[in-house]
Amino acid sequence: MAGESFLYQFNALTGGLFLLCTFGMVATRQVQGCMRFFILQSLFLAASAFLLGIHPVLWGLLAVAAINVVNKPILVPWLLRRTIPEEIHTRREISQVLNIPAALLLALAIAVGAYFLTLPWVNLAGTSAAGVNIPIGLAALLLGAFTLTVRREAVPQLLGLLAMENGAFFTSIAIAPELHLLVELIVAFDVLIAVFVIGVLTRAIHKQIGTTQVGALAALREESSR
Amino acid sequence: MTSHILFNLLQVAVVMAFAPLLAGVTNRLKEVIQSKHGPNILQPYWDIWKLFHKDEVISDQSSWIFRFTPYLVFITPLFVTLLIPVLTSYPLFFAFMGDMLGAGFVLALGGFFFTLAAVDTANPYGPMGASRTRLVGFLAEPVFMIVFFTVSFIAGSTIPYIVQQQWVQPLSRFFEPAHVLIILAFFILILAEGGRIPVDNPSGHFELAMIDESKGLEYSGPAAALMKWGGEMKLFVLICVFLNVLFTPWGLASTTAVSDVLLAIPLVLFKILIFVVVLVIVESSLAKLRLFRISEFLGVAFITSVAAMIMWLFAM
Amino acid sequence: MTVFAIVLLPLLAAVLCWIPAVGKRAAAPVTFVSSAGLLALTIHVTARVVVLGKVVALANWVEVDSFGALILLLVSSVGVLACIYSLGYMPKMTHDSSILHHYYGNFNLFIFSMVLVPVVVSPSIEWLAVEFTTLLSVLLVGFESNSEALEAAWKYAVLTLTGAAIALFGFLLLFWAMQKGGGGSYTWAGLAAVAAKMPPVVLKTAFLMILVGFGAKVGLVPLHTWLPDAHSQAPTPICALLSGVETTAVLYVILRLMPIVRPALGGAIERWALIFGLLSVGVAAFLLIQVHDYKRLFAYSTVEHMGIILTAAGFGGAAAHYGAMYQILAHAATKSFCFFAAGAVLLLTGERDIASIRGLMQRSRVAGSALLVGALAIAGAPPFVVFLGEFLILRAGLSEGRYVAVGLLAVFLVVAFFGILLHVNRMVFSRVAGEARVLTEPEPPTGEEIEGEERLGSPPWISVSLTPVERPTGTASAHLAEALEAMPSPTASQVVRAEGHSSGPGASEAHPASLEASSASSSPSSVRTRTDGLSAPPVVADPKFPSGFAGGLPWPCVLTLLLAAIPVVVFGVYVPHPLYELLSRAAAVIGG
Repeated sequence: MAGESFLYQFNALTGGLFLLCTFGMVATRQVQGCMRFFILQSLFLAASAFLLGIHPVLWGLLAVAAINVVNKPILVPWLLRRTIPEEIHTRREISQVLNIPAALLLALAIAVGAYFLTLPWVNLAGTSAAGVNIPIGLAALLLGAFTLTVRREAVPQLLGLLAMENGAFFTSIAIAPELHLLVELIVAFDVLIAVFVIGVLTRAIHKQIGTTQVGALAALREESSR
Repeated sequence: MTSHILFNLLQVAVVMAFAPLLAGVTNRLKEVIQSKHGPNILQPYWDIWKLFHKDEVISDQSSWIFRFTPYLVFITPLFVTLLIPVLTSYPLFFAFMGDMLGAGFVLALGGFFFTLAAVDTANPYGPMGASRTRLVGFLAEPVFMIVFFTVSFIAGSTIPYIVQQQWVQPLSRFFEPAHVLIILAFFILILAEGGRIPVDNPSGHFELAMIDESKGLEYSGPAAALMKWGGEMKLFVLICVFLNVLFTPWGLASTTAVSDVLLAIPLVLFKILIFVVVLVIVESSLAKLRLFRISEFLGVAFITSVAAMIMWLFAM
Repeated sequence: MTVFAIVLLPLLAAVLCWIPAVGKRAAAPVTFVSSAGLLALTIHVTARVVVLGKVVALANWVEVDSFGALILLLVSSVGVLACIYSLGYMPKMTHDSSILHHYYGNFNLFIFSMVLVPVVVSPSIEWLAVEFTTLLSVLLVGFESNSEALEAAWKYAVLTLTGAAIALFGFLLLFWAMQKGGGGSYTWAGLAAVAAKMPPVVLKTAFLMILVGFGAKVGLVPLHTWLPDAHSQAPTPICALLSGVETTAVLYVILRLMPIVRPALGGAIERWALIFGLLSVGVAAFLLIQVHDYKRLFAYSTVEHMGIILTAAGFGGAAAHYGAMYQILAHAATKSFCFFAAGAVLLLTGERDIASIRGLMQRSRVAGSALLVGALAIAGAPPFVVFLGEFLILRAGLSEGRYVAVGLLAVFLVVAFFGILLHVNRMVFSRVAGEARVLTEPEPPTGEEIEGEERLGSPPWISVSLTPVERPTGTASAHLAEALEAMPSPTASQVVRAEGHSSGPGASEAHPASLEASSASSSPSSVRTRTDGLSAPPVVADPKFPSGFAGGLPWPCVLTLLLAAIPVVVFGVYVPHPLYELLSRAAAVIGG
């Protein structure tokens, strides 16, 4: 019993740090910092899967943890380094649509909203882990989408996308641990393809217009097409 | 009862005696990390001693606030010391007078008069520092509030002695996400309120870049000594709150035996030493922020504290 | 077995195209063979589905039912047409023909992703397939590698992948709901089996998240902003695939969910489908009017048609579902035809701007009439297939008693009809003045632009156009310049047309001669227009494209247009019995 309560407590702690990393992705000003927060976030996702899968032992969740440790902190940065090295190594500041304190406040509102949105599901799930993982997963999903909209740069937008996927899985490890392992594998595969495709596209954009400020791309509108 | 009064006074004595040492150790460690030799760890004592033996110059343009402030700055940390657990894990004689919120207000009173005094003189740097302190204060205040409210929300009380028991019984509560996030937020607050590096550079000598230091430039002699000592005690008290109430509520005396209480002194000092090492490492690895980036830094603290509150809601 | 072949054939072709030794030489033939083979296999599978009701290749993983077969048939038919079209279109439009095998490689991968969608039955794999349709087509959208195409590709990728992530959350919730409802296998059938027992509170959010997430990919209104960009900037054969079948293939997933969530949620899903559908139709119909780019025109029309199909699904009832299925077929056939026609125009003129294209009928009968037929058909004019679909839907809506929704839909359809024909009419007709512009001038000057310089004397672009009919240029051209200055372009063109008519009916016969003359004499005028700040060169003076019946269109494009026109015309008046059977069974699938 004591052991379980510790596991639960650690899982809750992992959840808190996962959420904090998601906030960090909104708050940081550098591409590199964003990348580090994403890696940390993925590691916390893996940690949570591990904690939920260790007692009683659920091999599916342990495999999810392993896949996440290999996939996001290692393979994703490696792929990005291969496709767009000049973007990853930069310490340049990211241009933002909103200033950071305002973005953080909005992010906070989103997180609180996610909590109230998920209350009925938490009651339905009835497990203590779900109480942590469902709202935080949804919050990370929404915050990832939020990161996408406030950032003007290619790589942070991509990381926002991946954070959304992390959020979805953060929820799923608590509510659907029986999910077929194949699904986890194909999503991991899909993440890599997405990173590769967007990396190639970013490189093409960089070559064409000399910057990766995708927010500056605004030629295609009805008014300006004449 | 008598022992409670005595222990309470002992706490005050400990704070008075060891606050300059804290400053000395911090300065020395910083220099050591920068591969320099650094001043003697007892240097702050000599500074205070020296200042007490110097003449005092007071501007004839200043009002009573300027003369009154050093005493207030010196007395408020000591007053707070009476309320918080420094050596014992049970409330002492004067602890009934205020809770954590009260302690916060008392500290804020000292800060307020310090700011007024800075504006009082005609020194151009004083008001500049004062306005910057207020900027930091405005940003730090909500974080303080959220942290205190979250803590009291979780513990069901604002009395520090009750709060400190909350985290360790049972031990798994220590890993409560809300607890960890509060610790993070409060650490950032200490950096901001103590004028530490990402916010302010305590060892800087360039008036235009100063925040805290420039407010006290006009003081000399015994008044300057009081200000200096008071500032060091304020940091000591903040660290005591952080360590004894929030982070590591161990090592305090739980009985009224004199030996226990005396043993608590080295234990608490040891905790503080470890904290200072961490503080110095953090300070040395960060660069001072530009003034308008401070809002982002404290924004992070705010988010962390609110995240702590949300996490508590989630986990409930 | 055939189903596996269907999935693997495009993959194999893609691999062959990516192998440099094969791809550099034979990418196009390989793609053609694989597309044709795919169509043959699909017809085979569809026939079996019509007879047997369902083809199971690997139980609980790969199965094709009537609805899936319909989508499969559409994907492979449009695929083979797009492939033929590419043979003529891509070499002319690509600057660097050495990377053309990349195009064909990606083309096959894209086809692969789209045939994957209707054959898998596990929602999680379905999600992956839909994600693949984005990922494998992003590089095709940005294939032309200019900044507009890359911008479009970026918006496309980011918005649809965001949607996909939201949908992923929805699918995970759906799985959870299924577990709560009592397990089973995570397939469409397994979900349907426990449909009534799933907790509504989770199911509702799951469905909404999938609707919103995949709605971004379908182009439903709040998240449609990427669609006109991507569908106008991609190479035309890809536009035909994106608009004609990719959107539909994703909509397929949403429609499949409706019978699954209906038992637990009741009429709520119909309401959402109606709201999203009507919103899309309405917004797109009004946005149609103000476009300046004819490919964007058709892209907005795609948003509108997706809305129509969703609205039809929202009406409920077997007749409306049949209408939705019919509309899916009609839209895929017609919209791909429209894009092929638009591509022909682009090929002939090099212009995307509606206002700079006039008198298309004189340039090329094929392109002009194709554009006209396509526009009439997609707008819903009577003899064509879309008309029948829209008519079926409106009638079914009335019989379901949804009068307000039907009324709104009808109004929006009329608005869209006029919006489309307003633009296309101007492009196809407007004869003499149009000729003048098409001949020598890339963009029509608005009133402000021709002020000043043109006021001084007779502008060369008018004197050139009038050379073959031997009018005394002095007074007439001055008069024309005044008329053009005074009025907005359409009215001005009518005035000019009247002038042209008075000059005699020989204008169009004299056209080749005029082109000869203009190619000789247009170089000073082109220099002149460039100094005016109009940067695009006068494209039509290019001797590579002679005017006339085909107007110099490459024969594969003409062939594609002719082939693609067949279903647009035929299915509007006659639906063969097997097709009817397939459609009505597919309607039964979403009816639950």
